[in-house]
Amino acid sequence: MDRIECQWCKAQNEPERTSCSTCGAPLDKQNLVSDSGWAEAPRLRDMTEFRFSNSTCQIEGEIVPVAELALANGDSVFFEHHVMLWKEPNVPMSALNTGGGMKRMLGGMPHVLSVAHGPGRIAFSRDANGEVVVLPLHPSMELDVREHAFLAGTHSLNYSFVRIKGLANVMHGGGGMYMDRFVTQNEPGLLLLHGYGNVFQKTLQPGEKILVEPGGFLYKDSSVQMNTVKQSIRTGLMSHGMYLAEMVGPGRVGIQSMYVHHHSSE
Amino acid sequence: MTTPTVTYTCPYCRIPSDGSSATCPHCGAPVDVRERVSDSGWIEQPAIRDMARIRFNRSTCQISGTYVPVAEFNLHPEDWIYFSHHVLLHTDANIPLEAKKMPGGWNRHLAGIPLIMMTARGPGHLALSADHPGDTLAVPLMPNQAIDVAEHRFLAATGNVNYQYLKMHLWFVTGDPNDRNDQETHYPAGRFLDKFSAQNQPGLLLLHAPGNVFIRDLQPGQHILVQPSSFLWKDPSVRMNLHFEYPRGQYWFTSRKYQAKSVWMTLTGPGRVAVQSVFERPETVGQVINDCGATRHHW
Repeated sequence: MDRIECQWCKAQNEPERTSCSTCGAPLDKQNLVSDSGWAEAPRLRDMTEFRFSNSTCQIEGEIVPVAELALANGDSVFFEHHVMLWKEPNVPMSALNTGGGMKRMLGGMPHVLSVAHGPGRIAFSRDANGEVVVLPLHPSMELDVREHAFLAGTHSLNYSFVRIKGLANVMHGGGGMYMDRFVTQNEPGLLLLHGYGNVFQKTLQPGEKILVEPGGFLYKDSSVQMNTVKQSIRTGLMSHGMYLAEMVGPGRVGIQSMYVHHHSSE
Repeated sequence: MTTPTVTYTCPYCRIPSDGSSATCPHCGAPVDVRERVSDSGWIEQPAIRDMARIRFNRSTCQISGTYVPVAEFNLHPEDWIYFSHHVLLHTDANIPLEAKKMPGGWNRHLAGIPLIMMTARGPGHLALSADHPGDTLAVPLMPNQAIDVAEHRFLAATGNVNYQYLKMHLWFVTGDPNDRNDQETHYPAGRFLDKFSAQNQPGLLLLHAPGNVFIRDLQPGQHILVQPSSFLWKDPSVRMNLHFEYPRGQYWFTSRKYQAKSVWMTLTGPGRVAVQSVFERPETVGQVINDCGATRHHW
């Protein structure tokens, strides 16, 4: 019997499944794609469960969703400590030193990421309306994520952070000074993000460009170049500057519809 | 050439269509759902379905997402829209973005209204989003039709929709009647009212309201009291006024700094009004020493 391919993460699923076993996306619903090619991140059904390594993740709630993980022995996840909603008392915790303490302090990012080890249950939530975006990462994938947007990453992911290049990008990009970078090693990994509002993804072809409100940027493949471009707008004698993020393919770009708005100069 | 048979009039935008599609082609409201009316007569404005398309002129507007919806325009080469620059989410790199001339810059600055209104001309795709969870409303305007909208609710309008902003004459002053430095003027529904009107041809107006939206048709002379900051839009025939309501037994703790009262906006028919379910917490303010001609009721 034919297996069903998940339209979001491309994983193969048994025909009787109604949600993807790898990312939780509904399999019995058509992927929603706008006329210009932005695919809506799948709305995960309440209590949807999916697997990673030997553990499971269940998504609960729809307005401010919670990701509840049942960690198997030997599995672990890392996260920013303030996104932890609850945990079982016996779940061991450790710290992951991110390096670059001064840089991270300047960027307003936590110096230490927390790590929870299985066995046991732990749950995460960012306290805002939005969607949990589940991104299974295959070996040798690199993904750049807006700072303070990641909810949790599995132990098989390498975490680092990269400086956003260019003073104009830092000053006017609306994305802060750094981006989180997640790189898979030899085995697949799973990354959970929280997107504010609704989340959309578009795959850019090589050289294809799109302009995005910088505060709406959520994630991108590291192959996608991000530049900040200034739109000069004249109103009479006044000149106004407006900055947009120019994304150049190839690769995926994810955006969120509720965003941190940068200020235009007036 | 055949003329489409009119079999359906959308209860939300009041424009007839053939009713053959699942959503109203003019405002995107679902056609195949039963109208939800509260016992008191408020009609819940249904959310525009994910990926529903609204037609205007030779272009389309597609609404995607449900928490914080995105309005994605596919603009025809001869069509253009205008919008406040801070709602732009993404755009094709080849769409020309220009500033629309806005009179009264200082007044707009004082009122916290965006100074720059941008225009985008087709061909190409462009998407807008207001960063609040809520409903995006499409309000089609027939030629010479106008509506009055609360400030900061505007998302976009087609080029043929005329935009003016008028002073919102709902205000009151609190403080020491003998000391002008100790007085504060309050504008519970904002300082300005946006007025949009279609010119010689139909136009489309997009609004974004935090929370849910409810509409009702007021009969001539019918009143309703609403929270001033929940007001969303109204027909120009609906009159507005300020109303103070004083609860019984409040006088023992009344002071110049604090006075127990409710501040309401009175809406008087005839015409349609719309309110949103998210509104600002009313201010606890002192004795009113001057106002715009508000009515009062002491219980």
